Amino acid sequence: MAGTENAPSRREFLRAGLQGAALLGLGGLAGKLTTRSTSGKTVWQIDPSKCIQCERCAINCVLTPSAVKCVHAFNLCGYCELCTGFFEPKPNALNTGAENQLCPSGAIGRKFVEDPYFEYVIDETLCIGCSKCVKGCTSFGNGSLHMQVRHDRCLNCNECSIAVSCPSNAFVRVPASHPYLLKGRESA
Amino acid sequence: MDAQGGTRGAWLKWGGLIGALVVLGALAAVLVTTGKPGVSAKSTLRYEMAPLRQVDRALVKYAEERRIETGFTAVGGLALRPDGSVLVAGDSAVRTFAPDGKRAGEIRLSGPVRCVATDEAGKVYAGLRDHVEVYDAQGTPAARWDSLGEKARVTGLAVAADDVFVADSGGRVVVRCDKTGKVRNRIGARDPAKNVPGLVLPSEYLDVALGPGGLVYVNNTGRHRIEAYTVDGDLEHQWGKFSMDVDGFCGCCNPISFALRPGGGFVTSEKGIARVKLLDADGNLECIVAAPESFAEDAHGVDVALDGKGRVYVLDTGTRAVRIFSRRGEEEKK
Repeated sequence: MAGTENAPSRREFLRAGLQGAALLGLGGLAGKLTTRSTSGKTVWQIDPSKCIQCERCAINCVLTPSAVKCVHAFNLCGYCELCTGFFEPKPNALNTGAENQLCPSGAIGRKFVEDPYFEYVIDETLCIGCSKCVKGCTSFGNGSLHMQVRHDRCLNCNECSIAVSCPSNAFVRVPASHPYLLKGRESA
Repeated sequence: MDAQGGTRGAWLKWGGLIGALVVLGALAAVLVTTGKPGVSAKSTLRYEMAPLRQVDRALVKYAEERRIETGFTAVGGLALRPDGSVLVAGDSAVRTFAPDGKRAGEIRLSGPVRCVATDEAGKVYAGLRDHVEVYDAQGTPAARWDSLGEKARVTGLAVAADDVFVADSGGRVVVRCDKTGKVRNRIGARDPAKNVPGLVLPSEYLDVALGPGGLVYVNNTGRHRIEAYTVDGDLEHQWGKFSMDVDGFCGCCNPISFALRPGGGFVTSEKGIARVKLLDADGNLECIVAAPESFAEDAHGVDVALDGKGRVYVLDTGTRAVRIFSRRGEEEKK
């Protein structure tokens, strides 16, 4: 008799079974959705080895400012006092005066580290993606500054208007699971 | 009235036409110069290298006489022997070219080589990533020196009677060794007590050359100057300044390579704006040997050497050839 009293009723048994099935179904659905959101999906990115710093990323993106930003690979940087990505080609002085800065939007911060080294940090909220600094850095320095599509902004248009106009075919599709082509080690 | 009305109508018609043309022209101008509102295609968004590469042609007093194709896929450095033959370091080998440009020999090395030097006995010193390998004049291995450390990058060599000076750009020093590779002392390291500011090398370029009086010359690229040290590491003198113009060293870090002229003075090479210049003993510009237009815009790294006749040997990393420049007047005399 005691065993019969402790046994679940048929209604309780069915309820527990349905709850388990629902949980299993939800888990499966979530897994399916998660898998679908990344596997096979691609996004736009810039191959830094092909980029020729032509300014079109700033001009041709459908967003204003562009979804393309300059990023900095600190491990490649020489921390130069005279950074050709920061300063105009012929600066009046090596200071942060606006007339000496190359960046048209003042998006690069310059901070003293130790004599004679300085650190340069990109403020992406100000960066318009013109790549002027990248050209200066790549031409004279180690090329630690480079351009990347920022996926928190990019609309991932089917026909990206920058990709269409890119003269060096630097715009490529990459897996959404690995959406960046960063120089050096992960740095941005 | 009819005549007046006709004239007025004609004036109005022409005025309207001209007005429409003005508006159309303005619209066309806006479309051509503007890709996007607020961003002008002719604005300050583009880094223009072309104006920086322009030089006064009157300053170019050398012309390319001939070139030696090295056959390497990547070249590092070059050195000249007294007999006029040329040693070129590239890939994982050092090749010897006779004065007429024909390949005369090759020494296979254990890895990629960046620089090469030779002594009066004809020994070949090759600078690999972190160490030096020595070969006799016939190319037989003579010694492999110990590594200078994990961070070492051997980028320049100079050989004296009793010493070998190894430029280590990774360690930011010139290591003075004896002929067996034993380290005697280090030159160029920051030392406030000796008033040595230290070498600033943002990229892997450090060259070394020996001058009269036993001075050791080093290019301090981050400070845009050439410095002269005693073999014990005392800083004797220095010169050089930053300038995108030809009177100074351009970019973040130059000159990347240099050679001493027998009668005093220097030949220097720069990257960014690739150019080779002839300077007097105080570092004042005498003339341009090879203007930027002589090199590809993306040419990075050009090594230079001088022979006894004043000809400048330029190892062009873009064409991977040794390009020999001589004074225009002297070329015409031939």
